Amino acid sequence: MKIAISYPPIINEFGQKAMVSQNRNVQYFKTPTYLLPVIHAQAATWLKQLGFEVLWDDGNAQLKTYDKWFSDLVKAKPDVVVLESTTPVMKFYWNTVGEIKKALPNTIVVMTGYHSMRKPLETLEKSATDVVLRSNHIDFSLSKLIPFIAKDKNWRDTCTVDGFVIRTNTGSFRDTGNFKQVEPLENSPIIDRDLVEWKRYAFENGNYLQTPGTYATSVIRDCMFGKCTFCRYNGPDLTFSMMPVEKSLDEYQMLIEKYGVKEIFDDSGVWYRGAEARQFAKGIIERGLHKKGCYFGFNTRFEYLDEDTIKLLAEANFRFVLIGLEAVDEETLRRLNKGYLPHHIEKTLATMVKYGLHPHLTIMVGYYWQTQEQLDLTVKTVKHLMFSGLARTLQVTICTPLDYTPYHMECIDNGVLLTQDYNDHDMSRIIVKTPLAHDQYYKAIREMYSVAFDPRFILRQMRYLLTFTKRDWQFLFTYGIRAVRRVRNHLFNLTERQSLDAPKPQASPAAQTPR
Amino acid sequence: MFSKLNPLKKTDKGSSTHTGFDPYEVLEVRHLTADSFSLRIERRDLVFKAGQCFNVGPMGAIVNREYSIYSGESEPYLEFLIKLVKDGAVSSKLHSLKKGDLVEVAGPYGLFTLNQKNISQNKYVFIATGTGIAPFHSYVKSNPGLNYQIIHGVREARDQHDKATYEPARYTACVSREKGEWFNGRVTEYLKDRALDKDAYYYICGNRKMISEVFDLLTSKQISGDRIITEVFF
Repeated sequence: MKIAISYPPIINEFGQKAMVSQNRNVQYFKTPTYLLPVIHAQAATWLKQLGFEVLWDDGNAQLKTYDKWFSDLVKAKPDVVVLESTTPVMKFYWNTVGEIKKALPNTIVVMTGYHSMRKPLETLEKSATDVVLRSNHIDFSLSKLIPFIAKDKNWRDTCTVDGFVIRTNTGSFRDTGNFKQVEPLENSPIIDRDLVEWKRYAFENGNYLQTPGTYATSVIRDCMFGKCTFCRYNGPDLTFSMMPVEKSLDEYQMLIEKYGVKEIFDDSGVWYRGAEARQFAKGIIERGLHKKGCYFGFNTRFEYLDEDTIKLLAEANFRFVLIGLEAVDEETLRRLNKGYLPHHIEKTLATMVKYGLHPHLTIMVGYYWQTQEQLDLTVKTVKHLMFSGLARTLQVTICTPLDYTPYHMECIDNGVLLTQDYNDHDMSRIIVKTPLAHDQYYKAIREMYSVAFDPRFILRQMRYLLTFTKRDWQFLFTYGIRAVRRVRNHLFNLTERQSLDAPKPQASPAAQTPR
Repeated sequence: MFSKLNPLKKTDKGSSTHTGFDPYEVLEVRHLTADSFSLRIERRDLVFKAGQCFNVGPMGAIVNREYSIYSGESEPYLEFLIKLVKDGAVSSKLHSLKKGDLVEVAGPYGLFTLNQKNISQNKYVFIATGTGIAPFHSYVKSNPGLNYQIIHGVREARDQHDKATYEPARYTACVSREKGEWFNGRVTEYLKDRALDKDAYYYICGNRKMISEVFDLLTSKQISGDRIITEVFF
């Protein structure tokens, strides 16, 4: 059997590509960022190990047009096509499934992703999709489903593996029950880098100071905290699974020694903390990997890492720490279930900077309750942190309800959603009723991005040169130039598409609403 | 063009009007065994649902941890059952607190709560290891008359904290390192040979290995995944 794990290129009328961005949401960008879909890459690896022919089919990273991607897929004639969707591209995918089934009627189409897993019937009703995964464990689910399909022609009626909704031969839908929430991640394979053509993802990523960089096989799935209301890693059906430290260390060693990787980022919702974080850092040092010229990075939360752990991570050559600063006011932090106290923000960042880490802030605005005072506090705090050198880079996005997260459900329940069109959930504009004019939030975003051009920020970065550490010199002279390009890209998005009255992006050519 | 802010439905998530960002006073620390203790703090006007958790951290530290609430919804204090982690950045500091000391608290949150529909008619099986019994203790304290069975996996008999809270017929200890009047072995070994009620809801809380194994065991006995709810403890 031939299995294609497919990512069609999605391009809007502005020539922007749909790419995975903050919180693994889809955003349209002109400047490319190719992020390796880690769990799908594990699924591909596992299926290959089970003896199936696997086609890694990422049309985006492979720089294909939609037409080229589609014709190549049809030529390949896979028995199964696996797709990954999220709210703003659901309609595109439903239509694409129709196109695939028209050209390849015997091909089984499997839909994965956090939107469809929460609304499986919607995707089955609105498209010709054959199977929808209810599980976030794509690798574990497919490693059970595909062998079942291979051995049993009547799989639609007989499959008992948990976590699927299946279109039966009579056209009805069969739910095999909720999925197993906690999987032993040690049983899922480390990604086969050659299979997924890792170099295609090794350069175009704004978070890398050195290239080639890569994403590690995530050590946590989905998030150890898992309570933030806006995040897709939150729901009554989700908890988290963790990979043993030694297995991850083995992968880092392999990536450095076999592939010559210069920066490794783990995109787990939240990376190890406490004992596991310390064990990992010690393992890096014991194996001598901290002296191989490779930086390491991860996502974390405020109040997750203590000073001793931060110091140890710095010794192990960790650099990039991505940390969510969704707001600074207490009301918003409480409503979002952030679980940290605002007065610890500065102290945490100061501790990270003290040991040479580069904190990267991910900020959000546009909550449906956000007042001018709350917004101003965010902007003021962000500026202070950037000008004082307590954060090195930032990223600001509009908080967009999607994938039926608790925040999304809250917006629906409270009647604040301004649109019913999934295409509008692409984070390019505010789609909820707010107490302020939407322009105020866009202005705040521009103000925060403009920090990059402020002499106070530039001067602070130049002062870092006095530390005579390689990473600080690289930061100013390598990363700085790339950062300006990316900031312009973000500002372009806001100026072109900030009103719901503005022309809607038409993901072409197959993004029309399916009938 | 812009609507007024719609107020949140406060009862939806069990949140309260209190910001939860002020220090809370420690009322008592009970040292239960060498590696577990309970931390009781003032509650003020905090509202929560049994099964939710709070982030608790020592005053002035830059770290906190999530702890499930051990006390009942109606009790006048908040209590947490905590495992003392060797060299742990938070638990070791909380362990050394005294009455009158202060801690920082944020929350509550979490969805590992009992489905409020038909709560009095449902049958529940709670499966825990170690301090993973905390949310179940809170369920039982908060819901008199609850139809439940607890299967509690511990290493030694003394780890059966506050066993008297549960009706004896509803509590089964699986003690792995000590023989006695309890089941000698792990929870998976206990469940393996038992007939299971397909109509019950199965809540599992504890370490991830146990949860993974118990899930497989339950589904192998035809318990639907839709009736299994899990929460990993670190």
